[in-house]
Amino acid sequence: MSLYQLQKLLYHVNRDAERREIYRKSPQEFVKRYELTEQEAQAVLNIDTRALYTLGVHSLLLRPFTLLNKVSNEDYGQALKGLE
Amino acid sequence: MPIVFACAASHAPGMTAWTEAAPKEQADKFLGNYKKLGERVAAAKPDVIVAITVEHWANFFLNSMPTFCIGRAEHYDGPVEEWLRIPKARVPGDAKLAAELIDACLDGGFDPMFSDELLLDHATFLPLHFLNPNMSVPMVPVILNTLTPPMPSAKRCFQFGEFLGQTLQRSDKRVAMIATGGLSHWPGEAKHGKINIPFDKRFLDNLITKDHASLMSYGYDEINTEAGSGGHEIRTWIALAGAVQSWKAELVDYEPVYPWATGCGLVAFNP
Repeated sequence: MSLYQLQKLLYHVNRDAERREIYRKSPQEFVKRYELTEQEAQAVLNIDTRALYTLGVHSLLLRPFTLLNKVSNEDYGQALKGLE
Repeated sequence: MPIVFACAASHAPGMTAWTEAAPKEQADKFLGNYKKLGERVAAAKPDVIVAITVEHWANFFLNSMPTFCIGRAEHYDGPVEEWLRIPKARVPGDAKLAAELIDACLDGGFDPMFSDELLLDHATFLPLHFLNPNMSVPMVPVILNTLTPPMPSAKRCFQFGEFLGQTLQRSDKRVAMIATGGLSHWPGEAKHGKINIPFDKRFLDNLITKDHASLMSYGYDEINTEAGSGGHEIRTWIALAGAVQSWKAELVDYEPVYPWATGCGLVAFNP
């Protein structure tokens, strides 16, 4: 588990336009820049809201990241259902 | 009387970004009161606004997370969020007052980080939109870490606010102090949308009755459980209560606005 690296990736995508462009061009290549487990890399590549949340990503990193990836409020809420 | 005005206010982004999602009557009443607070700020003719505020990963990350940070920049750009429906602006900073505050802190037993470049997100820009609508009054942001643990204790925030208040009272400038954040909300969490009205009312009651012992005793776990991750922002209000602790707190408005997913409060402090 490398939550720091995982959150760093989201922070960079959210806040750094140049890195965001690189991420958009090739997510597969982009995730290799961070020391992620296979599970973490897959959660990023699949934009798996529930997996990222349960891995411990801060909600205010996760929501902007999912918004950039066009996850609607409804889908976001649905993904977290039962985790209250 | 160097501190000429003080108020605490919530900064739920829905207030501007999705205003119309809230019941019109509720939104009009709350935002009307927010604007009236802005008129009171203008009437106090401040030379500078000292904002006890927070941020949401706008500048800082876990590689370098200050517990307290005082902005010493010549200006501040914001809001970071493209979708906030608040025009981009550059707010002048008061670097001289900031430097004086930092010096006073280091001489007085507080060791804040300082920064000569900070972006402002909705936490600061939304209150400024209502309280400094022309973005013309220079400001000094004082950022508390309420984002990620470990956070400063409520007691330490009160004491930090007390120290800032004592220092600013000696300033030759007319200072408006604002605190921003809270009340209960769970942004982006599984419980997003929940509002804990009893918690919010108890906290507001602590402010109004000047129950400083209770304000200083709010703990991380208690806030996290009862007021959500966003509830930690009440530390800014607690710091302001420390800054103007002899003043009387006046509840201007409280509305639990579900479409904004936040218990929204406005409190003014009167000498």
